[in-house]
Amino acid sequence: MGELEPVFPLKAVIFQILFLLVAVALEAMVLRQRLRLGYKQSVRYAAAVNLLAVVVGWFAFLAVEPLFEPRLQAQVISYVLFDNLINNTLKPQMGWIILVVGLVAFFVTLILKLKGLELIMRAMGTWNLPSKPKELTRKERYSRSRTGTTLYKEAASQFAIAVLQANALSFSAILLLLIMRSYVLRSVA
Amino acid sequence: MIDVFKDAINKIRGLLTPPSYLSWQTLLLLSLFSWGMAALAEVSEATPITVGMLSTGSWLFLTIAIWWGLTDNPIRLGYISISPWITAAVICVFVFRPWTNERLQLAMAVWPVVATILVAVPNFCDWKLDWSVPKPAIRQELIVLLLINLLLSSWIMFYFRIQHWFNEYPSLIAENLDESAFVYRFGADTGSNSQAELLLTSAAENLEEQLDDTPWPRVERWLLNLDNSINSIAEGIVLNAVTESIFWSLDAPRPSSVSNGYQLRLRANWLGPTAKQNGYYVEKVCTIMPRPLQQRAGEAREEAEEGEETAPTSLIAQVSCSDQTTQVEREMVFEESAT
Repeated sequence: MGELEPVFPLKAVIFQILFLLVAVALEAMVLRQRLRLGYKQSVRYAAAVNLLAVVVGWFAFLAVEPLFEPRLQAQVISYVLFDNLINNTLKPQMGWIILVVGLVAFFVTLILKLKGLELIMRAMGTWNLPSKPKELTRKERYSRSRTGTTLYKEAASQFAIAVLQANALSFSAILLLLIMRSYVLRSVA
Repeated sequence: MIDVFKDAINKIRGLLTPPSYLSWQTLLLLSLFSWGMAALAEVSEATPITVGMLSTGSWLFLTIAIWWGLTDNPIRLGYISISPWITAAVICVFVFRPWTNERLQLAMAVWPVVATILVAVPNFCDWKLDWSVPKPAIRQELIVLLLINLLLSSWIMFYFRIQHWFNEYPSLIAENLDESAFVYRFGADTGSNSQAELLLTSAAENLEEQLDDTPWPRVERWLLNLDNSINSIAEGIVLNAVTESIFWSLDAPRPSSVSNGYQLRLRANWLGPTAKQNGYYVEKVCTIMPRPLQQRAGEAREEAEEGEETAPTSLIAQVSCSDQTTQVEREMVFEESAT
């Protein structure tokens, strides 16, 4: 390895902190409203879960990037260093690739946040969802046949909907920020 | 002046004198002593094991002394104590000895995680080494702290990944990085150290080797079959960074005629990532001129005796390439894209 260049990913760090702040603020809002958590608690949970998602994302990128084929790697380098996509034979497909990567990222983050939030709430001892019952009581069986759900299912779906809504909101906000950024840069240039 | 010195020395002495047997200053002095013994052993040519053990002991004492000292007198940056990171840095230097780049990379990437462990360990066991799980509130703080440090690790690894790209594709360093949303370059752009220079110089050398002093008709055939000829020149050129060669393609437009020879423009096309809108190429101009064959005196006399048939055909080529290269930004997208 040769000498190290004085090129640091500082802008990435700043953007990441900004996006994390936006995501944590929005998700804490949703979690507080939907799950009736305290104000401070929901901010802490949102921060932990978003940090988890970001860290997993970085590790995945760093692990997968060396395995990219040269054309895709060239596109990644071009995007990171020059904020554009180069004109190689892969360029026509880049739209699809970005879309698919974005969708995969969304669902993987959703799963991570669901599991992560459950784990951290268990670690805190605030996990108040009833554990999945093996034997239903008479009353519960009656309510299941009447409404089609059990207490557990009801609570679990409430939880999942809250996390889904939080995730969707933060993704939309960040996407909006990214679009605004490119729009502003385009109009300046 | 002397009073100032005295004051400073007294202060250092006060700081370094152990207030009791069990204190970090004791360990620091132990570390110094151990280091001194290691130096002595080195001088007196003791076995490497002795020196190694002594210096390892010195490092261990120093690490623990710093840990202890900083726990007692934390260094704060705003509200955050940065002592664990300092201790972790000392430990990483001790464990990884980051004198080479690979080990520096490993040490830097592990550093924040080591700092987290340093913060976490006192929460999991007490002075009697009894294992206990910390309270929920502390658990949550530790989880967030671990995640933040992992994020720091990722940033450091990302920095090294970018360095790896520059290493693989050195021509990227010469580019303008202002547009990037990820990286910031400190200091001015380092001038053009694009590898095009090397590529074109070797190509020109190969060209001279192939065409210099060859009969003129062969040159014209060579120029007619330009694409294959350029490929034959490009063969066997080895760049400093071998991986970068996928981003370079050598070609030449049709040669233009000047006086009675030809002017050939060797073009190194950059097909890789670039800040320039449509990419760029680097050009080197070579002129190929015919010149009459100057035979050695003896041969000339012989030929003169034989007759005049050979005389008009004996033109040979003379290749001269300029030392300068020019970088040209393309106005249109290059059709032949990288593969």
